[in-house]
Amino acid sequence: MNEHVSGEDLSAFLDGALAARDRARVDSHLADCRACRDEAASLRHLKLALSSAPRRTLPADLALRLERRLVGGSGRGLLARRAFWIPAGAVAAAALALGLWARRPAPVEELPLEPLLAAHARYGAEALLPAEHLVASSTYSDQMTDLYADDSDPGSVR
Amino acid sequence: MAEGLDAETFAGLIARAGDKAYNFAYRLAGNEPDARDFVQEAFTRAFEHSESYDPSRPFDSWLLRILHNVFLDAMRRHSHARTVSLDAPAPVEDAGWADLLPEDAPLPPDELSRRESADLVQAALGRLPTPYRSAVALCDIEGLSYEEIAQVMAIPVGTVRSRIHQGRVLLRKAYEELESRGGARS
Repeated sequence: MNEHVSGEDLSAFLDGALAARDRARVDSHLADCRACRDEAASLRHLKLALSSAPRRTLPADLALRLERRLVGGSGRGLLARRAFWIPAGAVAAAALALGLWARRPAPVEELPLEPLLAAHARYGAEALLPAEHLVASSTYSDQMTDLYADDSDPGSVR
Repeated sequence: MAEGLDAETFAGLIARAGDKAYNFAYRLAGNEPDARDFVQEAFTRAFEHSESYDPSRPFDSWLLRILHNVFLDAMRRHSHARTVSLDAPAPVEDAGWADLLPEDAPLPPDELSRRESADLVQAALGRLPTPYRSAVALCDIEGLSYEEIAQVMAIPVGTVRSRIHQGRVLLRKAYEELESRGGARS
């Protein structure tokens, strides 16, 4: 029997990333080698488990916030106040979802109806503000504020 | 902003690439708050540095690369541990191959519900060292080619090949350990 197929070759075979000649070699070996077939089956199961995991979709409130901050109005001006817009956005989104507009604490940015309807149409009602999104971003958001403060490193966009 | 990537175009890109970016961020972070922060920061960087975007190449790949860098920056700068753990196992290069060899039992077992299986997979993914987690997620969850993964991770295709396979081996081992302990919460 031929030498066993390497693990990397088996993975690449399953991913369709082998050249035709290597693919034929692996294919031929698998036909004769039970151990490599079992290993390939195990890797295939793993790949399938990953690819079939439920996909997460961009929460509608986050999509709306991104559009408003980055696209709507004076995007760069708002970005210059990034330390402000994380908590403000969270408060606005929570107030919106809880129907507390009438007694929301001022000052919170006004959210006009049109973009909300547009976001609703674009992202679907089921994606709007699940309960866990109503909590203002915690520890990591605070730490991200530190990141925002360090604008001296544009090279981090690589 | 670069010509050809104006505000309206960017709005469309958020809608088009947002789901993919968020799903990848969630797989890297393992939780929603961090995934939201990663995506928000990635889009912000993309917007602010859009002049460096090459319109002849897919926006999705460019965004995923920025997102991946956001994730790596966060790992470097913060030692906080939620499901994003800096206490992850040592890199494969430091492990003996005897530890990486597959067990006999294939997975996943059919008796587990799909939800439990998905939770286990995510928990196992969170245990991988970041280079392997990224490579496996980009390949098996996002469906990118090896060449696309090489661009997102800024590594050679040969390294992608190695990380994907070793990542799968580590993932299988982590999955089986979690399963033997009774689930994703262990």
